[in-house]
Amino acid sequence: MSRFFLKEQKKIFGETWVYLAHASEIAEPNSFVARKMGLRSVIVTRDKESKVHVLLNRCTHRGATVCREKKGADTPFFTCPYHGWTFKNTGQCAAVPHADAYGEDFDKSHFDLKKVPYVSEYRGFIFATLNVEKGKKGINEHLKSSANRIDEWIEHNGGNHKAIRISGVQQFTVHANWKCLYDNAGDGYHPEFSHQSLLQMTQQRYGAGMDLDYFSGGIDSTPMYSQNLGNGHTFLDQRPCMYEASAFDRQRPQPGRESLVEQLTAEVGEQKAREYFEMSTGAGMNLNIFPNLLFIGNQLQVITPLSVGLSDMSWYSTVIDNVPAAVNTLRLRTQEDFTAFGEPDDTASFEACFKGMQEREIDWIDMSRHLHTNVDKTDENGVLTSLISSDIHMRSYFAEWKKLMQSNDESSLG
Amino acid sequence: MNNKSSAQDSYYVNDALYDRLMILHEQWQLDGPVHSTALVNMADRQACESLIFAEARLADDLRLEEWLDCYSDECIYWIPSSYPASDPREEITLEFHDRRRLEDRVARIRTGVAYSMVPAIRTRHVLGNVEYWQGEDDEVCARASFIIDALFDGKHRILSGWVGYSLVKKADVWKVAVKQINLIDADCLQENNTFFL
Repeated sequence: MSRFFLKEQKKIFGETWVYLAHASEIAEPNSFVARKMGLRSVIVTRDKESKVHVLLNRCTHRGATVCREKKGADTPFFTCPYHGWTFKNTGQCAAVPHADAYGEDFDKSHFDLKKVPYVSEYRGFIFATLNVEKGKKGINEHLKSSANRIDEWIEHNGGNHKAIRISGVQQFTVHANWKCLYDNAGDGYHPEFSHQSLLQMTQQRYGAGMDLDYFSGGIDSTPMYSQNLGNGHTFLDQRPCMYEASAFDRQRPQPGRESLVEQLTAEVGEQKAREYFEMSTGAGMNLNIFPNLLFIGNQLQVITPLSVGLSDMSWYSTVIDNVPAAVNTLRLRTQEDFTAFGEPDDTASFEACFKGMQEREIDWIDMSRHLHTNVDKTDENGVLTSLISSDIHMRSYFAEWKKLMQSNDESSLG
Repeated sequence: MNNKSSAQDSYYVNDALYDRLMILHEQWQLDGPVHSTALVNMADRQACESLIFAEARLADDLRLEEWLDCYSDECIYWIPSSYPASDPREEITLEFHDRRRLEDRVARIRTGVAYSMVPAIRTRHVLGNVEYWQGEDDEVCARASFIIDALFDGKHRILSGWVGYSLVKKADVWKVAVKQINLIDADCLQENNTFFL
């Protein structure tokens, strides 16, 4: 494997906060999900006291994968199928079969599952890091201004983060380096071109003024903007256009739209129904939490590197507890839209970019939009705002990438 | 929104339909000619077989307007994201299309700028182990195993699983009312599946 790729596993996917799971996926004590932290296989568990642990899914005996399920409930222990070594969901080694053969001095506490030492949650989003300094400072320090944007995303989804629940995942492989995917997440320049099939189809079938059509033409004169939130996090805000009037009215019609609109209106009245319709439509926010969590509409896109040229792009969908069932049906049918009509064309270009980057004689790509146009403004919190088509997203996260890759920070497994 | 013709409405996708889809899914898994006393008469069986074979072939040949004609006005095309499938009111699917969104999908491809299909993806469906039985009213249910070989950019890829159909007769012509495509790797990483499965 490439030297850089392996270094990224240590420096980026080890030594900064990496998103792993949403609290709703391990809502009950003794539940778990199996995830990747970069290339590391980990089990994210909630113990019987509701504390969250991130355990390396590698038996301390012979190295076998201990947990071979993707998720589960009522699992206080994990038993390795190979020799029956058993671990609590806190990682503690609980039992070694026929341990007398290891001699009198055998101490099974030396064989606890290795743990990612720092685990922190911000309003339902669970992150972990191996980095001591970052771990001690906590997730809020790392998120900086992006925490306010996460709050806004939660506000769009009803305001109560405990009511937001993951409702399944669409998983795709992309034959490109993980950064080709991350590049796109804050790119306000591409929609007019990359999404032509979506834009043309929508125009033909539903007329003007629909989804994403505000990206056609002079986008930099729109009130949409792009931001560097610090620590590699960035934000692209479509809301000034998308939510100028009703975003729901712009949305391509979802299956069952008319019946759901009628049903909800009858159930809760027109005004409340209207609120629910907007909540069912994407948040209009592309919020990118470096290195692997992207808020896109009402979905969470999680990027996991598999090899230099292969990445896992998983779209976790969300629903909301304590709203009428029809709201969530509408949300799900909406969240299926972009992955069918928009993302495939982007993915084709991520793959094409990665191909182009294999040309050995050419080292550079360009990311200089609005670097020399003096349009950027920095506020008192250090948040830099640029125009929507700016490459500020790429420049910001690559600056963080470079800083991390060059750091001599210490990391450790617990 | 423009074009509010009745064919473009989606009133038929309601709770009653979702309930029906979940019942169908259970029947496709459990029932069949072995358990059902209601065998399909030979003429209908032959017509239904022609329909599902044509539907697969027209998708392969990218004759997408004729492919759409295989479906009824109130149809559902459904690719679950879990295996076995769960209720689409509670969990995201890979694709869940009514007639209108199915037409959107075809229209997107027909723009000629759907870059996920440039160069064109060639597919070949093979349907096997097809079973037919009489469903509710005049509906015929069918279930088959499928293998799709998909060629993109010179590389072959195999998709497989089983498919459930609800087939109905409209003005003397059999149509697909529901097609549910159960990929055996529905809950695993998917590649570019922007063709019709």
